Amino acid sequence: MPVDIDPNGIVGKIDHVVTTRDDRVRQEVGTIVGDKNPVTVSVSENLLEAATALNTIHKIVRHFYLLGKKTNSYFMLVQLQMLMPMIIQEADALVSAVDTFKLAQPLGDGIGAVIASRFMVGREKQTIARDTVLAVNEYKGRKLYVVKAEGPMAYVGQPGVGIRHVIEEMGVKPSAIIMIDAALKLEGEKTGEIAEGVGAAIGGIGVEKYQIEEVAAKHKIPIYAVLVKQSILEAITAMRKEIAEASDKVMTLLNRVIEEKTKEGDNVLIAGIGNTLGVSQ
Amino acid sequence: MIGSKSVVEKKQKYTVFTIEECPVCGQKTKREFQTGDYITKDGAKCTKCGNQTRISLIYAETTKPPK
Ligand SMILES: [Zn+2]
Repeated sequence: MPVDIDPNGIVGKIDHVVTTRDDRVRQEVGTIVGDKNPVTVSVSENLLEAATALNTIHKIVRHFYLLGKKTNSYFMLVQLQMLMPMIIQEADALVSAVDTFKLAQPLGDGIGAVIASRFMVGREKQTIARDTVLAVNEYKGRKLYVVKAEGPMAYVGQPGVGIRHVIEEMGVKPSAIIMIDAALKLEGEKTGEIAEGVGAAIGGIGVEKYQIEEVAAKHKIPIYAVLVKQSILEAITAMRKEIAEASDKVMTLLNRVIEEKTKEGDNVLIAGIGNTLGVSQ
Repeated sequence: MIGSKSVVEKKQKYTVFTIEECPVCGQKTKREFQTGDYITKDGAKCTKCGNQTRISLIYAETTKPPK
């Protein structure tokens, strides 16, 4: 990670490092897998990521366990013991994710991509950023510019770069940006519940969110968000029925947002965020 | 001691289904997921009107109702 004592311009640097890493991983995985099928390569990339995360958990738990033993620190071991249920839960989610990835089934996180794909089916697609596609559609006199990662590969794409491309390079002036994404629910909240709000709905390390906020603020475009709630386990394993069935409600809500927040003749930018494994367009 | 086993044992079994939807008459057919399925992929011919169906959803459902 880049030096952050002088944080000015750090997002660009983080982006650069992350993009270099992604390119390198894809190239190396491609060489190892020896398969030209982009779905297989992207799935292998994600499997490698899950394995890396599991290995990190293992190393950290082992570190504190051994350190506690070595220093005879009962409290360190007690702390570790108390955290174990949560750690096991997360590790368990990663293990379950492996099966879903292997079968290339849509993930809970793919709900944004599912919604975007409904607007893109049968339309002409163009690539606007790395693994990111755009299609133009119409709804009640509005021109819809729909962005999603390119499926059915296990990609998340670069929606930040894509949205900027549409606004600055293609010269489209949208009167609203609507983002659809999966959101982490709190314990006690229902899976598949829908939340509506404002602001850039996108997770990750913050690069994409920053890029979208930058371009939206510069051109004074309001950002609306539609979120489908789910747990971390549900987000990285095969999409649950409750989440899939929320898609019709999301479509209704989305249409209502478009009708309320924009006028006829306006341009609207719709971005389906999330891993698009098993969801084409 | 706080057991970490309870978390693991609660795991439910899920079966993944594919929904094929006819764009003309709207008929939906549910079948088990097959490798290679993805959303927007062409499905079988519609049993009602003979048009080309399309996979509209793929989701996991519990096989046994949770106790
Ligand atoms: Zn039909």
